[in-house]
Parts: sequence; structure tokens; C-alpha cells
Amino acid sequence: MKLILMRLIPILWVAEVALAGLPVSVRADEADRLKSDLIGHCMGGREKCWKFQSPEQIKKLEIRQQTDDGARRVYVVALELRAAKGEGRYAAEARIEYVKSAGNWKIKQIGLLSLIKIE
Amino acid sequence: MIAITKLLGLGAISSLLLGGCQVTELGGPLTDVSSAERAQFNAGRRVFQRAFTPESGLGPLFNSVSCVACHESPVPGGAGERTEIHVARLVGPQTCDPLFQQGGPVIQQNATPRLRAAGIEREQIPPGAAQARRSTPPLFGLGLVDAIPEAAILSREDPDDADGDGISGRANRAIDGRLGRFGRKAAVAELSDFNAGAFPLELGVTTPRSPVEETVNGKPLPPDVDPVSDPEISEEDLEATAAYVRLLAPPPLQIFTRAAEQAMVERGKGLFMTVKCAACHVPEMMTGPHASKALDRRPVALYSDLLLHDMGAALADICLGQAHAAEFRTEMLWGLRFRRQFLHDGRARTVTEAIEHHAGEAQGARDRFRALGEEDQKALLKFLESI
Repeated sequence: MKLILMRLIPILWVAEVALAGLPVSVRADEADRLKSDLIGHCMGGREKCWKFQSPEQIKKLEIRQQTDDGARRVYVVALELRAAKGEGRYAAEARIEYVKSAGNWKIKQIGLLSLIKIE
Repeated sequence: MIAITKLLGLGAISSLLLGGCQVTELGGPLTDVSSAERAQFNAGRRVFQRAFTPESGLGPLFNSVSCVACHESPVPGGAGERTEIHVARLVGPQTCDPLFQQGGPVIQQNATPRLRAAGIEREQIPPGAAQARRSTPPLFGLGLVDAIPEAAILSREDPDDADGDGISGRANRAIDGRLGRFGRKAAVAELSDFNAGAFPLELGVTTPRSPVEETVNGKPLPPDVDPVSDPEISEEDLEATAAYVRLLAPPPLQIFTRAAEQAMVERGKGLFMTVKCAACHVPEMMTGPHASKALDRRPVALYSDLLLHDMGAALADICLGQAHAAEFRTEMLWGLRFRRQFLHDGRARTVTEAIEHHAGEAQGARDRFRALGEEDQKALLKFLESI
């Protein structure tokens, strides 16, 4: 019995690590997809306007909230942004709304929730 | 033909052909707009003139109740005599903080009754912030300015004054790194960005792009002061307003009926070049290829290079983006005769007074203007009255 348990523990440990890792990697994939989808879109306005021009501008993207009713998917994300040219690093919170169109999810709107210059 | 141009008085609605150059009414749309664009222009004009109330989204903090309340003179879309307060803080030799987290850079000066009942009358100037007054600029022709290719603006940069003419224009950048061209410090990249930001910053009206209310100097609003759910304006209304501003025609030229006056204008035009006002106030640029026929490869007589220039310590106020306190984007001079105050903060009451405030890179041009005889000065001013 003791031997069985000793053999089982590493297997269970590996399984737990794998299961714990799965959502993280899925989440990371989703964050990468969001980064890519944001390109070409704008949020905010006037001096507080950000146009996503390249994934390299998005240093961090963390999904804080997500809702999905089948036709509409809304994310609230925390972003760390860097200007494409010149100086400036910013922390932002944004609301990204997707709608399903012809079977595909497309960004309908990005709303700027907060913006702070951090560097 | 020249007599006909007198019809271009305020409110005259006419589209005339003058020597092959089509002239539009002040406050009207560009020539060659499509019927769909005209419909959008008209829809946008209605939103532009809509007076918001707290029940329809105004505030809780705001500067004015409608777009036209500021952009009013002499017709909707024009300049205005109200000034507002902008703030920023220089946090390093080259680093400007627009103080987003403390309510900057636009400080709202009014509050709705509910917010006032909660003890807040307006936003405060953040401690240690530099502050600036900003007058309301006219919006005529800005769609054309928006359609000028970046390369045409950047080609005029001379940050180190390599040609030794004392003029060293450089481009500003928006926070995301795009080339800036709108606002007195050219810190806003596109006209649609400017319009989208005006609703939350000036009217306190939330939009799909800015779906949460502005804070009170960075602090959340007190509870129950904002009765309207967000966003307070629809995407359609936002787009219509953007179309209205994009399609507003530039101010028409003033052509004087008396030959002597027109000759004076022509002489003044020459002096404008010899005094080297045109080194920064570039008379004309061209738009690039554009989906809208009305904006496609058109001349733009803006009298600006859209670059930043050092205007001297006496005018210096706030930094913004990469612009230092003394740097301002060259003011567009078209339609100057429709304005009642001049310079970025409205401190000058006449064009001559505005010229007298020119210093820094513009000092040479100012000194050459001063050195002109009285008649030549009058001719130059007459020319400025005509554009």
C-alpha cells in the first residue's frame, strides 16, 4: 500500500501541475489573441487617446474580467503600454467588447477606463 | 464677378465659382461632398448644437453644455472667446506628465447641481502643476488638415536648424507615438481623436471610447451624482459629429471689391513672404489620396507647418507630449478675420498685438514686421484679413 502511494504521489503531483498550468497557458493564448485583435483600434480621445499600432506597444495584458453570453463577449483588461515612437510608458484599464458576426468574434468597441503615465 | 464675392458676408449661403476656385459658405460643408456625406454633416451639426443637460449626460464635471456654446463665432464651428485651463508637470528634463491621474490635462470648471450639492464646484489645479489658458479654436477646414500626409509635415522638420535660418520646427507626438497635429501643442494625432475626446473632457459626456466619467482630480465621483447610464452618447452620434467637423469647409477667401484694396492685399502677400512669416506659416499644403472626393488631393491654404516652434519665454506655459513649455504648433491663419482674440490663450486683441508677442524662433519675423513702414504693415495686415 505504502509503495503504491509512493508511486502515485509523483503521478498526482505531475497531473496537478499540468492541470494548474492549463488555464494559465490558455489564458496566455487568449491574452496574445487579444493583443493581436487590438491592432488598428483606438480607445479614449484627445490627449488621452491610444491607437494600438503594433503588438510590441503592449508590454503587458492581463485579463481581469470576462463575460460571455454567446453573442457578446466583454473583457476588462489591465495594460502596460509603450509609445511607438518617443518616450512614455502608461498603465491603462480597458473594456474590450466583442460581438459575434457570421460565426466569428470581432471587436466592436474598446473603451478606455483609466490611464496613468508611469514613466 | 468681384462684386459677387461681397455675398460672402456672414451667413450668406452660396457656392460660387471664382476664377475656377470654388468658394463655400462659412460653416458649410466642403464642395464635392456626396449626398451621403451631406446627410452625415447635417446629422453631426445637430449633435454639435445639442445642449446637454444632467439628464441627457452633461457632467457631473464639464466646461460647457454643448459644442456650439464654445465654437460659436461667427457661426457654429467657429472660434470662441471662452478660455479653459490645461495643466501638466515637467518631471524630468525631457519628460512631461499630463497629469491624467490628477484630472489633467483639461481641468473642468463647472459642475452639475448634484455635484455642487456634494460640495464640488469644479476641479482644482493639482499642486505643483504648470497651468495654461486655452482659447477655443475654429474648426473650419480641419478635415483637410487631417488628410495632409505625414511625410509632408515631417519633410519641413529642421530640429537642429541645419539650414541656419533661425527656425527649427519639429513634430510633436501623441502619447502612443503617432505624429501630432491637432491642439495648440500638436499633441493629438487625428481629428477623430480630438472629437472623441471633446465629449468627455469638455461636456462630461461619456462615449463608447471613453465609457466612464472623468474623475475629480483623480478621485472617484461621489455616489448618486450621475443619473445617466454610460455611454451617454451613441457611436452613431459620435461618428456624425466627427463627420460634421471633418467636412466643414475652410474659411472662404475675402476678395475686396475695390481695386486699391485688392492691390494692397497682393502687396501684403509679398511682404508676408519677405518678412518670412511663411517660414512657419506655410501658405499651402496638399491632402493625400482620400476615400472622400471632398478631401482627396486638395490644396489646403492653412498657413501653418503644423510643427512646434519655440515662441519665447514670455508665452511659455505647459509642456505637453514632447513640446516644451515655450513650444507651440504654428497657428493656422486662415479665417483670421473671423476671430476676435488671438494666440493660444486669447491674450492678444488684435493681429498686430499677436505679432508683437512673437519671440523665440519668431523674433526675426517680428522684428522685420516692426521695421516695415506704416503702409507696408497695413498691407501685410490687409493680406491677413483676406485669407
